[in-house]
This record gives sequence, C-alpha cells and structure tokens, in this order.
Amino acid sequence: MEEFRFIDLETHNAYQNMATDEAIMLAMKEGNASPTLRLYRWKPSAVSIGTFQGMLDEVDVEFCQSRGIDFIRRITGGGAVYHDYEGEVTYSIIIPKGHRLAPNDILDSYRLICGGIVEALGHLGIRGEFKPINDVDVGGKKISGNAMTRRHDCVLQHGTILLDLDVNLMFSILKVPQEKISDKMIADVRERVTSIRDVLKRDVQISELQKALIQGFSEALEIELAQGKLSSAEEKTARRLAEEKYSTSEWNFSR
Amino acid sequence: MRESSYKIPDGKLVKVKLQVSVGQIENIKILGDFFLHPEEAIQNIEEALIGAPEDENIIETRISNTLAEMEASFIGATARDIAKTIMIAWEANDL
Repeated sequence: MEEFRFIDLETHNAYQNMATDEAIMLAMKEGNASPTLRLYRWKPSAVSIGTFQGMLDEVDVEFCQSRGIDFIRRITGGGAVYHDYEGEVTYSIIIPKGHRLAPNDILDSYRLICGGIVEALGHLGIRGEFKPINDVDVGGKKISGNAMTRRHDCVLQHGTILLDLDVNLMFSILKVPQEKISDKMIADVRERVTSIRDVLKRDVQISELQKALIQGFSEALEIELAQGKLSSAEEKTARRLAEEKYSTSEWNFSR
Repeated sequence: MRESSYKIPDGKLVKVKLQVSVGQIENIKILGDFFLHPEEAIQNIEEALIGAPEDENIIETRISNTLAEMEASFIGATARDIAKTIMIAWEANDL
C-alpha cells in the first residue's frame, strides 16, 4: 500500500493552519514532500471564506472581533465555513498532480477524496454520501464541506467534518441581515445542515471522530498513514506565509 | 455601484459589484462560493470585462474567451451564469 505522511490532529490558529497547507504544497512542488494527510483544529475558533468571496459581504467582522473569533480567506474556492474549536475537525490532503488520487476531472477528484469521509462516517455508524459538487450529506443534509485548489503542481483538498452545530452562533458570525433571521430561517438551516452529534444523538468526542477519519481515509484511499511531521523548511515557509499573507488585511480583505 | 446576487439552480451563489460609465463596464468584481481553476483567472475575467457594453452575449463571450485563453474552468457556475448575474446588476439601481 502506498505510504502517506500523516500529520495527526494538531491545533493551530487560522493563519498557521492555512499557511501550513500551502507550505506543504510549495515543498511538494520542489520534490521535498511526499503525499500528505493532515488533521487539524482551529484555536481560536475561526471563520474561513472562499477565495472569491468578499470578507465584509460574508462575515460580521465586528461580531467576530468581539468574540475573539478569527477570520481568514482560504486559497480555495467555495463558501464560508465556521470552524468551531469544539465542534469540527478539518482535514487536508496534498498530492502531486498526476497522482492516482488526483484525476483530471474535478468532480471525480472530489468524489474520490470525499470517499474517505463517507468511510469515516460509516465507522461511526452513519450512512453518508458524496453530494456533488463538494459536500458529503447524511440523510440529505450537509455534514461536510470540501474545497480544492490545483496549483504549485499539486492538488490540495481541505474540508470540514461537523461534530456539532450552533445555528444561532453561525447566523451571528455570517452576515445575514438581522431582520431576516427568523425561526423559519433557523429551521431551514436545520433542514440543510447536520452534525455527527445531531445524527447519533450522543456526545461523540473529537477523539472518536479523529480515529474514524484515520481509518476512513486509509481504507477508502488505500493508503498507509505513516506518522510524520513538517520538515523544518516547511515550518519556516508556513511561519512566513502566516505572517506575510494569511494574517494580513491585504489578503483577507482583498475582495 | 450596482450589485446583484444570483443563486444558480442546483449550483453556487454568484455576486457581482459593478460600476458603469457611459454605457460600459468601468469596474467589476465577481464574488461567490463557486470554484474556478486556476483561481487567478478571476482577475483576467474582470479585466476582460472592462469596457463591455450592456449585452449579455458579448459579456458571456468575453468571459468564455478568457477562460479558453487561460485554460481555466468554472465549477458550480458557467460563463452564462456570470453574464446573467452581471445583467441583473446592470439593471439594478445605482447605490
């Protein structure tokens, strides 16, 4: 079985998390990194927006600042995601272009990697299914959102798996006109989004999801996960990107 | 500034912010939760639209041509969807 470097569940702030994903791509482009899977959490909790979204259009920045919630622009497209420290796990997978897990067709590519999440949910006793373009659903409700970019001769896919969901908090963070927040809207979101704890009706712990993701990705992608860490060069690049790119207003408010 | 949002049926949400001067696009930002590979092509598309008249077909063609030049492709949206969103913004009141 093909071996992947596996960077097991770590906690970083938003800037470091996004910088690390890109640093791995840059190292891989130079031939200095092998295919990699990471699991990570966000502390402080943070909202990430898609690369084509407007920060002020999507995020109530003042509310986030008052609550100590970070906000960041991703290098990937897609929508705004709230990464609650207690309520979700994020993964990223970075592979070179042309890898068997990176078919040319983008939808095939999402389907393949999202297979790891579907498998992980199976380990938790949940029947999930890939929902094109970039979601994994349970019973018709979204439980995982994913986003991919292809650059630096690599494919990066990262995504979130919801363990818990606080719809009221989500509405406070995302810019929804206050007058539009009605019971109906909250009910609508509950019809469209779910979480592992909602489905299983028990207090599933982060560590249980972590274990399921490790099993799910290795089985679905037929890879052997070898515990690893960032090289010192990757760490240095990540620190530089965090400082010079991901934490800057130029980047985060560029659209 | 004129703005519009268009939820593509079974697709993504596209938002447009548009400045028009003497019947032509003076400045435009295309935003949303769609995907575009490579992402940098969004700047080329926005630049290619400067000077475009209020004509959905011309706008769509400029977008399609830029996609072809850049070997870029939208996922979850099409050139036609973007053109349509731009037309909605054009018809909106100037804010």
